Amino acid sequence: MSKLLKAKTKEEKQDWQAMFAEWAEEAPEGPLKRYYQAGMIAPDTPLQDAPLLALDLETTGLDPKEDEIISLGVIPLSNKIIRCQGAQYWMAKPERSLNAESVTIHEITHSELAEAPPLHAILDQILIALTGQVVVVHCVSIERQFLLQAAIKIYGYPLYFPVLDTMDIERQATFKPWWKRFGRRPSLRLDACRQRYKLPRYKAHHALTDALSSAELLQAQISHHMDPTADISNYWV
Amino acid sequence: MDVELTEILEALCQHAPFNEIADDTQLNDMVKEIEIQYVRAGEWVIAPSALNNTLFFIRSGAIEVLSKENKLIRRMNEGELFGYFSLLRGGKSSQSMRTIEDSLLYRIPARWFLKLYEENDTFSDFFQLAREVRLRVAMDSQSSDVSLMTCPVVSLLRRPPISTDVSSNIRVAAQIMAEHRVSSLLITEFDELIGIVTDQDLRTRAVAKGLAYDTPIADIMTRHPIVMDSGDYAAEAVLKMMERNVHHIPVVKNGRPIGVVSTGDIIQKESHGSIYLISDIYKQTSIEGLQSISRKMTHTFTHLVVADANTQMIGNAMSHIGTAFVKRLLQLGEEKFGPPPIPYCFIALGSQAREEQTIKTDQDNALILSDKYNKKLHGEYFEALTDWVCNNLDKCGYDLCSGDIMASNPRWRQPLSVWKENFSEWIQKPKAEALLRLSIFFDLRGVYGDKTLALQLNQHIRREAQQHSGFLTFMARNANQRKPPLGFFRQFVLDGEGTQSRTFNLKERGIAPIIDIVRVHALACGSDKLNTLERIEDIEAAGLLPDGRAKDLALALEMIGMVRIRHQKEQIEAGEEPNNHVNPENLSSFEKRHLRDAFHIVSGQQEFIKFRYAGKRS
Repeated sequence: MSKLLKAKTKEEKQDWQAMFAEWAEEAPEGPLKRYYQAGMIAPDTPLQDAPLLALDLETTGLDPKEDEIISLGVIPLSNKIIRCQGAQYWMAKPERSLNAESVTIHEITHSELAEAPPLHAILDQILIALTGQVVVVHCVSIERQFLLQAAIKIYGYPLYFPVLDTMDIERQATFKPWWKRFGRRPSLRLDACRQRYKLPRYKAHHALTDALSSAELLQAQISHHMDPTADISNYWV
Repeated sequence: MDVELTEILEALCQHAPFNEIADDTQLNDMVKEIEIQYVRAGEWVIAPSALNNTLFFIRSGAIEVLSKENKLIRRMNEGELFGYFSLLRGGKSSQSMRTIEDSLLYRIPARWFLKLYEENDTFSDFFQLAREVRLRVAMDSQSSDVSLMTCPVVSLLRRPPISTDVSSNIRVAAQIMAEHRVSSLLITEFDELIGIVTDQDLRTRAVAKGLAYDTPIADIMTRHPIVMDSGDYAAEAVLKMMERNVHHIPVVKNGRPIGVVSTGDIIQKESHGSIYLISDIYKQTSIEGLQSISRKMTHTFTHLVVADANTQMIGNAMSHIGTAFVKRLLQLGEEKFGPPPIPYCFIALGSQAREEQTIKTDQDNALILSDKYNKKLHGEYFEALTDWVCNNLDKCGYDLCSGDIMASNPRWRQPLSVWKENFSEWIQKPKAEALLRLSIFFDLRGVYGDKTLALQLNQHIRREAQQHSGFLTFMARNANQRKPPLGFFRQFVLDGEGTQSRTFNLKERGIAPIIDIVRVHALACGSDKLNTLERIEDIEAAGLLPDGRAKDLALALEMIGMVRIRHQKEQIEAGEEPNNHVNPENLSSFEKRHLRDAFHIVSGQQEFIKFRYAGKRS
């Protein structure tokens, strides 16, 4: 099980610090500009020194353009420790009404959401939580796309952030060339990945629990497949 | 928004001690300060001689605890806590902890541990440093008052009294009794108790005599029945019932009836419900009759367990029943073969002698003959008698002894003088191998016949044992033969060398070692007691053990014995033959935790007697 991930080539490595500096110039005045101005760690920062923040969000559906964020949970961690003390959780009232199907998935009721503030009222707080952090998610495209669309809508400028994607890490860790494959490819679902590391099973679909889930998964992955002293740019996307 | 880390809180609250303090609202705040750590197999969590400032909770995976000398102390898995020893000692750890599987650990800050330890008694009880204290607390919380001697008669009352006015007729009285499903009815006049009518009265005094239904109840009632006061002890009710041969006694408080105790209530409560079984045994005149009673034994046994009787009570009851079988068979035998030509004493050995029998035991017995014994004259009689008794005991569920330690074996049917010589030989020239088989003879009780023979033999044994310390050395060494397990790990029994097995013998590795230890001390201090708990009292009084240690042995015995009894009861209920093999899967976490403490006490005391009776080094 324990094989180290392949190091990235020079071309594959991204310099989020430089990109943040650019966006800090371009972004309109406001919370998002302040977010970019606060900067990002250098690409040669060792993984073990990187400030990490596991994040998960629940939405009304799968389309970032149509659907909306209804809850978001974050929990800070390092390569060794997850700190519950920094955990935060928000609910957001969607502009359109919720369909019954997604309610059953999230275990969040209409009345809970009806009392929650709209997303534009809390995105500032979320940005403060994200400031300077490398974000840990399981399946980067969802979280990144939804927050990107929300920022465009609310601030008129996109929100980008560097990500350690536990799903992508797992894909690399379990990758075998086709001539060595036997049977089905291993599942990359969060729960399936956790079981591979003998992590306990959690009830899914609560943003904070899922954030905790991917935080624990990353710790397991780091201890099995990653080099804590390697540059963060080997891993972030 | 309020952050709720429900997964973490729920995981904690599934396990002791958090499950017992789940209503403590502080836990929510504590959870917010937890740190989570993933540790791969084979890494130190608390390295040897490292300082520790964290209480660890194993969320998944497994941990191994090692002593300073790197000896395995225990293995722990999901839901267990570690690190608290060092927290209570300012961070210094005498043990080291290492993962043996990939593990997810919750780190609870020392501050929180110390706060809860300080403020919450339930929480701190769990962490009591001394296992002995922990075990004591556990046993106290379990013990319930089942002794008739100490329980007040009111505690037996199950409902308010059912009564009717003296003006009622027989039919009305019977209807009331039927409606309330009672077997007795109190009769009042101006609300004052003046009589009682029972099922039996209706049968014998009314129906059998063909009285008319409208006969006044006053005609058949027992006037001025004996009553108990609410403050009286239940035991007095039993005595009164036996004395007067009644089955119902009204209980009054300030002159007014508040209920009725019946023999049924007493049997329900009475842990020696065996009294009735025993009196039945003495009424039997045939082997078939005795056999049919022996089939009720399992029922009596489970009944006692359900009634929360402790192991001492159960052992006592089962032994008295066993003794009653022996006595009755000998009485019947003497009827069959004629009166004995010379005095003899039938002796019980082992658990029956110690009054610690359980449900499934082999017979272990022997015969002491008077020194007038002449083989030519008397040999045949005693051979026939003992053969007959032992074979019929077998029929009554007391299997023949596989080691042939029975009165029917001529080797164990000897005149007193020969017995004395035997014991002198065993004690003066001990051979470890032989003593192992013979230890059962050092628990010896006369149960029938001329009991002075048994008393004389026991005196002889005590004298010899105290004069020959070398013998105690051998006994102490033998008492170290059977080692208790280290503890449990998941569904396995864990042993000192780290080996794991599926089941273990609770009697061989838990109860027997304690009995062996106690026997050595008892012989050393010349105790004339046979029962292990009574021996422990003598040992304590003789000051053979450091303060409190004697009591610890008693606690450990009770704890292990309780688990065995519960286990056997479950086997009986499942229709299986009761035995002593316990599978950790069937143990509750409470039982596992406290068995481990008990085992620890036993190994400690095994070590102790090894040195205490070390004797001369060869």
